[in-house]
Amino acid sequence: MGVPLKPARNWWLWAGAGGFLLAMTLWSAQGIGFSFSELFCNLGSGSRLLQESWPPDFAFLPRLYQPFLETIYIAIIGTVVGGILAIPIAVLAARNLSPGKLIWFADRNFMNILRTLPDLFWAMLFAAAVGFGPVAGALALSVFTIAVVSKLWSESLEAVNMGLPEAVRSAGGSWLQMVQFGALPQALPHYVSYVLYAFELNVRASMVLGLVGAGGIGMILETQRANFEYERVTMIILAVLVAVLIIEQISESIRKRLT
Amino acid sequence: MSQKAQGSIRFSSANIVYPNGAVGMRDLDLEIKPGEFVVVVGSSGAGKSTLLRAVNGLNRLSSGKVEIDGVQVPQRDGRELRRLRKRVGMIFQDFRLVRRLSVMSNVLIGRLAHVPGWRAMLNLWPAHDRAIAIKALERVGIPDKAWVRASDLSGGQQQRVGIARALAQEPAIILADEPVASLDPVTTHQIMKDLVRINRELGITTLVNLHFLDLARQYGQRIIGLRFGELVYDGSAATVTDDDFREIYGRDFTEDDVLDEDEVA
Repeated sequence: MGVPLKPARNWWLWAGAGGFLLAMTLWSAQGIGFSFSELFCNLGSGSRLLQESWPPDFAFLPRLYQPFLETIYIAIIGTVVGGILAIPIAVLAARNLSPGKLIWFADRNFMNILRTLPDLFWAMLFAAAVGFGPVAGALALSVFTIAVVSKLWSESLEAVNMGLPEAVRSAGGSWLQMVQFGALPQALPHYVSYVLYAFELNVRASMVLGLVGAGGIGMILETQRANFEYERVTMIILAVLVAVLIIEQISESIRKRLT
Repeated sequence: MSQKAQGSIRFSSANIVYPNGAVGMRDLDLEIKPGEFVVVVGSSGAGKSTLLRAVNGLNRLSSGKVEIDGVQVPQRDGRELRRLRKRVGMIFQDFRLVRRLSVMSNVLIGRLAHVPGWRAMLNLWPAHDRAIAIKALERVGIPDKAWVRASDLSGGQQQRVGIARALAQEPAIILADEPVASLDPVTTHQIMKDLVRINRELGITTLVNLHFLDLARQYGQRIIGLRFGELVYDGSAATVTDDDFREIYGRDFTEDDVLDEDEVA
């Protein structure tokens, strides 16, 4: 028995799908008032901005030290606080461990709400509550960390082998002991990995949060931009880029060793 | 309520029907005396595991009752059931150890129900309980492995940790659910000998599920045969005949049913 003839391609389907995509794009471009002619005419001012942004102002670097440290503080506090609070939330949201359907349902929805609201929203909320500054940033990142870690980790917890938790229960262990001694040890490497990942996200997020006044390097970025100090802005972006790359490298190498 | 470590078990017209309609136990009346070594045989799906897991409440009865030393096994989770499970150790086919943790940490799981909750939670085990865990390891012959990671042990050694964990409970009853099904023949005999020796030395009532007939005959004191959840044989291992086994299994048995093939008659 030979290979049957290759079925003919459905050209009409491909053409239709391509045409649909093109039409959607054009429709959207018109909607936001995009035009190529304008883009070319304004290319000059764009390149002027780039010229003004170069070279980076290295003399400004020492003044970045303090705000940068603040960004790291915010990220650390957010990761630690959020990482700890995420533990019970993730456990209760894991279908196989949750003590009751109602608790599971409530916790699941709570997690969804945390995740749906963006970190900028939390930053503005906490800035309004405790005033502009790093404390608001740390609180916002705590919530953000809970959202990230609890979602990812509850899925790891649902994948644990339930034999061991059952063994703990058969030895007379309570629900809490079943979780602590039966389930958590199996999912611990994942937990550490997700918390480190959340830390990476937090360092990056804490710059954006600075834009709305939540302290750190984002705040100084915003002031320099508002003062048209583009060479300093370039310096800040470069410094942030290097820092984020370093932190991600370290965290990634630890995470690789864990799993 | 008697707190003495006796370990008698009594099933009275006990039934288990699973949600999917499968019958796991049918009108079981059974009495096991303290200190007995009972081997449960039957083809797969005959209800061997169901029987063992009903003793410590991992499987709930649909009707009837099961008692340990005259105290009925509660049919719902709670303090009562935990207090009862404290006195019933269980050994599993797949060992069920925390592979990442030390042997000692695994054995101490057997002490969870004996120490205050906050101590267990913070891993602050009293010296008394540590001593019990070490004694349990000595009884299965691997005290030198106390600080080795469980995953670094061989299969036979891992099952010994499983036995030590059960012993650390200082139980009146040990339930061994296919304890040798994932072990090689040599280790199988070692583990069976360990179980028999512990039964003789400590007088712990022991129920072992086995699917190898020769092991049942060799190590059992009393043999219970199940078929479709029903008790079809109950007698001494010394007098059980090949016909009895045929009756239990509902067919002729083959070399798949014995561990050492040359023993097939």
